[in-house]
Amino acid sequence: MSALRRRAERAKTGRSQAIRRGRGETALPYAMVAPLLVFIGALALYPTVLTAYGAFVHNDALDPPNHFTGFGNFQSVFSNSQVRQSFENTGLYVVFGVLLSVGLGIFFGLLLQRRFRGRGIVLALMVLPWALPGVVEGVIWSWIYDPTFGVLNSTLKSAHVISTYQLWVGTHQIESIFFISLVQVWQITPLAAILVLASLQAIPSELYEAANVDGATTWQQIKRITLPLIRPGLAIAVVEGLVMSLNIFDQVYVLNAGATTASSLMSETYQIAFGNLNFGQGYALSLLATVTTIALSLLAVKLIYRRVEF
Amino acid sequence: MKVSKRVATLATMGVVGLGVAAASSSANTVHGTAAASSLKGQTINVAIAYPAPKAMLAKFTAQTGIKVNWDYVQWDNLQTKIASAAEAHSYFADVADVDWSKVGEYYATKWFLPLQSYFPIASVKSAYPQATSFIRDNELVGMPMDGSLLVTTVNEKDFKAAGIKSNPTTLTQYESDLKAVQAKGIVKSPLDIPFAAAEGLSTYWYEMTAAFGGQVLSSTYAPEFTSPSSPGYKAMAWMVAAYKSGLVPKANLEDQDYQALEADQAHNLTASVFSDYSGDVGTIYNVASESKVVGDVDYIPTPGASGVGYNLGNPDGIGIPTEAKHVPAAVAFIKWMEEPANQGAFAGADGPKDVIQTFPLPSNRGGLADLVKSGKVPGAATLESLLENHARAIFPAGAPPWYSQFSNAVYTNIHAAAAGSETVAAAIKSIASTVKGLDN
Repeated sequence: MSALRRRAERAKTGRSQAIRRGRGETALPYAMVAPLLVFIGALALYPTVLTAYGAFVHNDALDPPNHFTGFGNFQSVFSNSQVRQSFENTGLYVVFGVLLSVGLGIFFGLLLQRRFRGRGIVLALMVLPWALPGVVEGVIWSWIYDPTFGVLNSTLKSAHVISTYQLWVGTHQIESIFFISLVQVWQITPLAAILVLASLQAIPSELYEAANVDGATTWQQIKRITLPLIRPGLAIAVVEGLVMSLNIFDQVYVLNAGATTASSLMSETYQIAFGNLNFGQGYALSLLATVTTIALSLLAVKLIYRRVEF
Repeated sequence: MKVSKRVATLATMGVVGLGVAAASSSANTVHGTAAASSLKGQTINVAIAYPAPKAMLAKFTAQTGIKVNWDYVQWDNLQTKIASAAEAHSYFADVADVDWSKVGEYYATKWFLPLQSYFPIASVKSAYPQATSFIRDNELVGMPMDGSLLVTTVNEKDFKAAGIKSNPTTLTQYESDLKAVQAKGIVKSPLDIPFAAAEGLSTYWYEMTAAFGGQVLSSTYAPEFTSPSSPGYKAMAWMVAAYKSGLVPKANLEDQDYQALEADQAHNLTASVFSDYSGDVGTIYNVASESKVVGDVDYIPTPGASGVGYNLGNPDGIGIPTEAKHVPAAVAFIKWMEEPANQGAFAGADGPKDVIQTFPLPSNRGGLADLVKSGKVPGAATLESLLENHARAIFPAGAPPWYSQFSNAVYTNIHAAAAGSETVAAAIKSIASTVKGLDN
């Protein structure tokens, strides 16, 4: 075999090995995420498809049989004044939830970026509210808000901020929603703070050193360096706030019971599906919540997310 | 020992005992060799809104060989579980809760097996004071599991301190007594009404309406509360006025029934609950670790518009979901639960070891007789008397299938009226409009 031919054979073998290796490398990631895909498919996608289908079917346990109804379920839920009220309330939950959780997330992220004694413990403690179930948080905060012996009333009265104990939830729409939102903000802010902190830690210190040399103020550094460069983390924090606020249920269920004053889209969905047993309308509301969540999340990502390279 | 106790109980019950004897004799067949041997080794899942009586369950297993997984699920969550499982046509329990308020719903949806072939309706009617709450068109949707009814409780110590010498028998006198307790500064806001938008507020209104001499829905489910002179209208106006005037603690706008009872009445922040639950004296107010009013609170005949009023029944029942896997074992279990001796024991007739926590009253007359005879539960004789002489079903035709929507309209609107976001007239109009919109 001539040297030329041997070289050609080697080249051919090398190509096929590269192709095989390439195929193997391409397949490996898919194989690794396959179990997760199956899991998500079974527990999220399949129910979503069923919900989407169910939203167009008349499915009322008290008025059988089931049949296709087109947009009938949607018309019915929109003609329900309690549902309309819950849409308005949920809008307020989103405003309070996203603004407060992201704002506080940035604040705590910036604080935790600095090295100080006990920082690790503070970080671990911060994650605790995130780990607690919503119902447990609702119960804890119902004690805090309690109009007879709650710590919020006693603290504010001791500080002479209020003269008599107050009802924080149940009387006025915006006030009730604000105080219920605070419970959820307490839960989701730690994750927002950690996302912001992770983004902050990725920013090279040289950028701040250069800015200092150029005489930039702290606010100018935050505005020109920090905020633009933490946009990926910020986008995720905003989406998290959106998803949680749009789907708020546990805290409303515990603190507000069934009052329309601060009902949410999810609490109304629960009442319609499991109280009224109108599963078709329940599916329709769930689908609306899902579509709204996806649309707003995509919008948030489009507006906030920017690819950052150092 | 067990048999002799049952025989002794039946011997004391006379004519009433005949019905119980019929039910008990059916129960005995379950313990018979043929039935018991075929069920031995089976495990049934039971989903109930009461904590498990572990010692009693061990006795049941020893008697029948049937093992019981008793899943104590909070009431609201249990209703969601039942609906979810039924909608998905999936198995979740062999025995589950059938609340009085769900009977119309389950009769319409057929989510539970009819029980009349296991428990003859005539026997059930004669042995159980609140049987009709579970019967619809001659179908037994569930068996009464307890004899819960809405009753009035007062803190006698507070009332005496206010100079009140006898219990009120009319609403006018009741209100006047409450104002006296308030005026003397014994309790700042003496009346306990849970105004959170939840089921407890709805049942309070039903009981108040009964005290005013009426009912909220007719036997054809037509609203009977729209006229300002109707008992339902007056009852709601009375409740809202009581809240706004300070007779009810301001904080109660956020309180659900269990919160109001445990936080207010048990801690002497209030002096009376007009629509309390039978059994609360023994299970809440007289429990030293949870109460500051041990020995002070008693049941009284509910004051009415012109004399003693009615006590509405709100019993819990048990039934067999359509998707149950072990129906004969489930039937055996229900029969065991319904044995008068066991019913009495669940309510405390045999002391604390066999008690089901928060269990209000035995479901059948045999169990009630056992309980009263034991003398171990405070107020048992009063409750038995109220149950036999003043009890009435909340709805004359039983709970409608759409009860949940009705109750939702009731509690959201009364809550809104108390919060001041709508008037009583608007609340009444809104509830009536909901009833009209529902398929009668």
